Amino acid sequence: MTMKETALAVIAKVSGKDPEALVPDAELVANLGMDSAKALELLVELEDQLEIEILDEDAAKLNTVGDILAFVDRLSS
Amino acid sequence: MPPQQLFGIFKAMTDILNAFPTTIPEALKRAAVDFPDRGIGIFDGRGRRFERRTYPQFLESATETAARIATLGLQPREPVIIALPTSWEWLDAWWGVLLSGHWPVAASGAGAIAASESQFDKVNAIMGKLKCRRVISSPGFRQQALEHGHHWAQDRVLTLEEIGQLTPQPGFRPIKGKSEETAFLQLTSGSTGIPRAVMISHLGALHNAVASSNAIGIPQGAPAHQWAQSMVSWLPLYHDMGLIGCLMLPITTGLDAWLLRPPTFLARPKLWLEQLGCHGTTFVPSPNFGYQLAVERIRPGQLDGVDLSNWKAALTGAEMIRPETVNAFCDAFGPYGFDPRAFMPCYGLAEATLAVTFDTRGEGVRTLPKPLGTDTGYGLTEIVSNGGPIDSTEVVIRAPNGRDLDQGHIGEVCIKGPGVFDGYYLDEQATSATLSDGWFQTGDLGFLTDGELYLTGRTKDVLIVHGNNLMPDELERLADRVTGGGGLMRSAAFSIATGAQGEQAVLVVETAQTEVESLERLEQEIRSQIGRQIGLPLADVVFVKRGRIPRTSSGKMQRAEIRQSYIDGNL
Repeated sequence: MTMKETALAVIAKVSGKDPEALVPDAELVANLGMDSAKALELLVELEDQLEIEILDEDAAKLNTVGDILAFVDRLSS
Repeated sequence: MPPQQLFGIFKAMTDILNAFPTTIPEALKRAAVDFPDRGIGIFDGRGRRFERRTYPQFLESATETAARIATLGLQPREPVIIALPTSWEWLDAWWGVLLSGHWPVAASGAGAIAASESQFDKVNAIMGKLKCRRVISSPGFRQQALEHGHHWAQDRVLTLEEIGQLTPQPGFRPIKGKSEETAFLQLTSGSTGIPRAVMISHLGALHNAVASSNAIGIPQGAPAHQWAQSMVSWLPLYHDMGLIGCLMLPITTGLDAWLLRPPTFLARPKLWLEQLGCHGTTFVPSPNFGYQLAVERIRPGQLDGVDLSNWKAALTGAEMIRPETVNAFCDAFGPYGFDPRAFMPCYGLAEATLAVTFDTRGEGVRTLPKPLGTDTGYGLTEIVSNGGPIDSTEVVIRAPNGRDLDQGHIGEVCIKGPGVFDGYYLDEQATSATLSDGWFQTGDLGFLTDGELYLTGRTKDVLIVHGNNLMPDELERLADRVTGGGGLMRSAAFSIATGAQGEQAVLVVETAQTEVESLERLEQEIRSQIGRQIGLPLADVVFVKRGRIPRTSSGKMQRAEIRQSYIDGNL
């Protein structure tokens, strides 16, 4: 699995949504129903599964599924 | 009253008279002298490493910071905002401001995910309301504020590193403080979306910490091998339960304390219970939500090897206590040695410094069936006893006409005692509306039976989601911005509760739109605004015709009524 695929799998697992719902524009809080606890669970799972560290400053800019995928993309390039 | 209880009260009173430091600086000094080996450990953001300082080290670094803050040219008693995550920087800043004769005001730090404009708007609004000029925060906070166009951040935000580069004032001595004087401000939600600043005196803070530890049964300055060994907390320090319960209380009693950042706990609830087990922790406070999160997110087997049998007081307060959560927690963690009798309900609020009542019976959570003919509106079928008032504190239940009600009758909870605040800073109107003759009208509803307080709901419109208070206006304004209400309030926010989940937010929006497609678009935009700005998912968004939200003749929105219609399915 590529890092992006792993990231999508993590988002699907934590949010409990179908992978089809994870369009780039989907917002974590508004569309995927994540509250702050869920959002943080997602961060930690991403860190663990991708073996990366996400700084608070970067985390603060992650609003949508697309934001996360772009962030992961920058890491792997 | 059983003799044992009488003795307890007598002992508590003599303890207070003999061992009570009367100012906050004195309390920290005493902790450094009386408990030189004990202190506070604070975990980093991921909960992997901690830095522990003993009380003498804590006093030393706070005093050094104070000596530098003293050179900033602030007015005496000028409020200074602290916007930092739980860390030694936070403690140095808060205590440095206090020890140099100013008023620390703890504000929530940057959100861990999707930090928003509203955060900076809020800090800016607090500065305006409290007429203060300085925010102690992180370089990241300043940078993000500037990126969002908040130019004030350039000069007004100070970082701990910058303070550390100042030359300490020569011959600096920390203030002694007077026990009756205001020591700091505590923020609580206000009806306009801008928080109110509750004025807390030295005496109020210390009385509350000491009276709480007496109620919990922590002996003052007990040797480390006695039962009060340590405390673990994930509560935010900008919240009364965190600041008083998890900082003032350990300092006045000489407890070892371990502090996790709230986001760290939210991401990994299991760390909380692991730390508890590994320090043989005896005392832990949390709102109901924390226990619920532990039940939902810690999987069987994840705590193998953790021993929770030392846990003597599991305080639960700051939001409605749900028997479902309590039972599920006992079932899940009983196998690790958790004793159901450790659950200790309590009731408190920022305007009382913190604690008002504690259930000191040591029998766990006790309930009464919901009184016939009442709808709590919070999905409760059983009402939890919050116990009786702490030392020197009175609780009465009042009818809307101001008359005291007999036991068993539901009315507004009113309180009086040393912990009751001095007023809202620079907000005479809000103060006189709720505080008279030392009696504070809490806005909470409940009844008294056998001297114990049972909470059933509240008269005020606040939503309490996960222990955080939110004023409905905050949500309504964002929604109105989307629908273009033209300054008219076109939406109503309230909370509902079903099962153990606790309160969830619902928004009713008036609109002339009828096309399904545009309504869907509108809903998406509203959810998105509220998600980005407040970080709150909405349980439901309901569109109604213009004029459907009930108002009084003076135009005041009647949220309780629309909420009832929603619950009854009449919208």
